[in-house]
Amino acid sequence: MKAVFLLNFTKFVEWTAGEFGAQNSPMEICILGDDPFGSTLDRIVEGEVVNGRKVAAQRIKQAPPPKSCQILFVAKSEKDVSKVLAGLGPGVLTVGEGDGFMRDGGMIAFVIENRRVRFEINQAAAENAGIKLSSRLLNVAKSIQ
Amino acid sequence: MLTFRDTPIKQKLMIIIMATTTAALLLAGIGIVAFDSFLFRGYLERDLSALARIIADNSTAAISFDDPQTAAETLAALRAKPHLVTACVYRADGTMLAKYARPGASAGCLPPTRQDELRFSGQGLKVSQAVVLSGRRIGTLVLLYDLNEIGERMKLYGVTVLGVLLASSLLALLLSSKLGAVIANPVSQLARAATSVSGTGDYSVRAQKLSGDELGVLVDRFNEMLAGIQSRDGNLRTALRDREEALRDAEKARERFRFLAESMPQKIFTATPGGEGEYYNRQWIEYTGLTLEQIKDFGWTRYLHPDDLEPTVRNWQRSVETGEPFLAQQRVRRADGVYRWHLCRARAMRDAQGGISMWIGSNTDIHEQKETEEELRQANENLQTFAYSASHDLQEPIRNVAVYSEIIKRRYHDLLDADGQQFLGFLTEGGRRLATLIDDLLAYTRAGVVDAATTTVDSAAALRHALSSLAEVIRENDAMVTYDALPQVYMGESHLQQVFQNLVGNALKYRTEDKPRIHISAVHQSAAWRFSVQDNGIGIDPQYKEKIFGVFKRLYRGQKYSGTGIGLAICQRVVERYGGRIWVESASGEGATFYFTVPEHAERFRSTAV
Repeated sequence: MKAVFLLNFTKFVEWTAGEFGAQNSPMEICILGDDPFGSTLDRIVEGEVVNGRKVAAQRIKQAPPPKSCQILFVAKSEKDVSKVLAGLGPGVLTVGEGDGFMRDGGMIAFVIENRRVRFEINQAAAENAGIKLSSRLLNVAKSIQ
Repeated sequence: MLTFRDTPIKQKLMIIIMATTTAALLLAGIGIVAFDSFLFRGYLERDLSALARIIADNSTAAISFDDPQTAAETLAALRAKPHLVTACVYRADGTMLAKYARPGASAGCLPPTRQDELRFSGQGLKVSQAVVLSGRRIGTLVLLYDLNEIGERMKLYGVTVLGVLLASSLLALLLSSKLGAVIANPVSQLARAATSVSGTGDYSVRAQKLSGDELGVLVDRFNEMLAGIQSRDGNLRTALRDREEALRDAEKARERFRFLAESMPQKIFTATPGGEGEYYNRQWIEYTGLTLEQIKDFGWTRYLHPDDLEPTVRNWQRSVETGEPFLAQQRVRRADGVYRWHLCRARAMRDAQGGISMWIGSNTDIHEQKETEEELRQANENLQTFAYSASHDLQEPIRNVAVYSEIIKRRYHDLLDADGQQFLGFLTEGGRRLATLIDDLLAYTRAGVVDAATTTVDSAAALRHALSSLAEVIRENDAMVTYDALPQVYMGESHLQQVFQNLVGNALKYRTEDKPRIHISAVHQSAAWRFSVQDNGIGIDPQYKEKIFGVFKRLYRGQKYSGTGIGLAICQRVVERYGGRIWVESASGEGATFYFTVPEHAERFRSTAV
């Protein structure tokens, strides 16, 4: 479910063209740390096109360089999350899990509520990174900081 | 029950205006409502599909992140639409994500369809809208919208239209009663005038002109017509009055005539132009003892003497045919059966065109007169007979006296002395004169008797005989007697000779110192011959013109003009016996001309000699 959410975030977020590597660069969803989605994510993004860009998923071991990832999912396995986040350039939507991710400066954090996946949003962090979140996304969010 | 045809124009106008207004408004209302309903459906469709798109758009995130709560919240915004019954958001797999139902709504969500649709159904307007995100269908939004709004709207419109209808009808009513008066008032004015005229017969009534349109023209024509009728009515009344007056006058005249007729001693009658008796006055009824019914028409045949009937009928028919006055003497039977002589006269009364309008006649009782005449005639005849026989019987002794006095004179002349001779002379002279007198008297009485052997006689021959009788006297007087060509006349020759002899004798007798000149002539004049005997004698003073024809009337007594004074009387008697006339024209000292006429025809002489 969270994999689907990751893909769906791409549809409610606006990036400026400058945050992509090239004109036709795909929209990269990067997984940092232990991949909780497995092949599910790959299946989901297969064939998806958002704003004229293909969606792709990749697993990374360390903080990505600028413009290589548009969405960065930080898995629970990562320890020093705040350091990773601080080192990121603008234009990367950061998604993590648990309330701690928010405290660490993450933008969207998955939380489980009544056995359902929900998410919280740190709008200030997103704005600082030059990412515009759709108001609809904000509506769906459990809470907004 | 009054049908529309019979209702007054004012009401008719009102009804027409109201009906027109109502129909127009109703049609307009229905049109508006229908059109609005059509428009409203379109509007509803557009509105709902836009709404659906917005909701779908707003639901993308909720579907994407499988958030029923947010989806429900989004749907809850539809509360603002009270006619939205249900709204459901389905996931792409057809499961329901969120549902909204109007409070109190029992209906469940309609199932999603693969295709977008907008469909009116019994339940309402169903909208099925795909929720699309990034070109991918991620769910479906299904809305059910009830159509009560349309009904409400129509109801509202209906009420509005009804209100407008009522208001405009009221306005139309007010306007029509005001404006209708513009047409209805002149018409009812006209109708009132016409009713008044036909009701009272008063043609002086005039309709008031209230407008200058066709109705005004109608009123003008109507008034002109009334004026025409009024004047004709007036003329008719005048004519009727004149006629009544004329009838009254005629009745008065008739009454006057009747009164006059009833007051007259004569028997008055009137007859139709065809000769049938119409009116007989009281005197008739009283005299004849017959009723008016019996006398009327040709009832006079009942009372006339049978001998007078035939000539009366003939003469009356001739008068009726020619229009000439009717005159007859007839015997009329009295109630007691006695016939009395009456003089009947009748004259035709003619009208202005000259045609006979009626006959008016009278019968006058002339019985006494007739009897007197008869007595007189009888007495006259007796007298004549006596005179004739007397003079005839006297002739013999007188002749004896004359003859024997002559014999005495001749034989015993010498025996008588002077006195005796003188006495004898007187005797002889007296006897001669007496004989002459007797002769003349005899002639006079003979003159009254028409010679039974009267034929046509040559008057010239009669004159010649008379002149030869007078030959001695003519010669003694050295007179000159001349005459023209003389005609044949119907007369006794001895009578005509007697007339000539007397007239020429007189002319010779009453002569002047001059030589007597006597001329006899005759001219034909109005169905008679007029003879004239002209002399140059002493003439006659005009004052004695009539007197000289009397018996024994002599203007000159004594020796100068001897005579018996019977001559002219004889002439008159003879001439009148034959229906003629005798007269003289003269002046003293200028001679005299004696005229006498002899009727040409024996017929005429006979008829007047009755």
